[in-house]
Amino acid sequence: MERASQDISLSDKKREDLLMLLKSAQAEYRHIPRAFIVDTAKALGLPENQVFGVASFYAFLSVEPLGKHVIRICQNLPCYLKNSRMIIDSVKKKIGIIPGETTPDGRFSLELVSCIGACDVAPAMLVNHDVHGNLTPQRISEILNTYD
Amino acid sequence: MGNITVTINGTEISVPDPMTILEAATQNNIDIPTLCHQPDLTPNGVCRICVVEVEGARTLVAACHTPLTDGMVIHTRSPKVLSVRKTIVELLLTAHTGTCVNDVNAANCALHKLASDLEVGEPRFHVQKPRFYAPEESNPYVTRDLSKCILCFKCVKACDEIAGKGVLSVGYRGFESKIITGCDDALTHDICKDCIVCADACPTGALSRPDLLDKKQKGAV
Repeated sequence: MERASQDISLSDKKREDLLMLLKSAQAEYRHIPRAFIVDTAKALGLPENQVFGVASFYAFLSVEPLGKHVIRICQNLPCYLKNSRMIIDSVKKKIGIIPGETTPDGRFSLELVSCIGACDVAPAMLVNHDVHGNLTPQRISEILNTYD
Repeated sequence: MGNITVTINGTEISVPDPMTILEAATQNNIDIPTLCHQPDLTPNGVCRICVVEVEGARTLVAACHTPLTDGMVIHTRSPKVLSVRKTIVELLLTAHTGTCVNDVNAANCALHKLASDLEVGEPRFHVQKPRFYAPEESNPYVTRDLSKCILCFKCVKACDEIAGKGVLSVGYRGFESKIITGCDDALTHDICKDCIVCADACPTGALSRPDLLDKKQKGAV
């Protein structure tokens, strides 16, 4: 983790490449390590605080380590009207953590997010990049069991 | 770049073009309150305290960054402006945690001064989880108390444009937004040295100069 820049090339990168670099780091390390922020800032000629600002802004980037699978449940109106509260509660019960936390075994992280564009199948959630819609509390176990 | 004629509060005035509503008002001794604005920084119009009514405009506009156009008719103290301004102060106060009643630094807080000028009474809006950050006193030049920060970004601009250091920026998003240094690190002497332009720019005492604070505390005792 200390020598983050060895895995993702920072040479010949410009300011406009920042977001793509952070995305690669997120995929590689499941979060954006501090060392990566420091190296990227240096390589792009930006202050560290600005790189951190971008890294901490986006919902799909994280400055804290995340679990192997990230569950993102939509908390916007269409899903809310379709009882997303119940889905959130059953996911919480199933994996034993609250939104913003990661299970002690590092298997799951749980986050509440804004619209994921799946209103037609509300209530919906994302597990990593897979959309699961028309959720019912009964289906939660079944879905989560497929991620190990 | 000739002169243009505008009407502010019923008085017709002639001002050079280009100029913002705020600049013209200030030049003609018409008071428009501001929080996020400072004449030597680029206006960013985030705090909305300087809203004024422009006849024909769809919404109230921020005086600090709205350029004048010929024939513009502006009201700076209409009932609509005053009521909106008051609500803005109330909204800002909800995120400005902590009663400054016992705080010796409250006299420096432009938001509290504005609240009393506009006769904002008891808090009308309540938040479930107030923002709270522990005050930081580790830096000898700047004391940071982010609970008081109203995110006007004046410090960020001052650090960039006046000091040219770019040490401060905005991190996180929405309600979690905060002004950060480094990777959301403590404001230590290594990061921020003694230029204190940020503390001088801060309207609320979220960034303040410990030397001034000490003097006031001693004076108050």
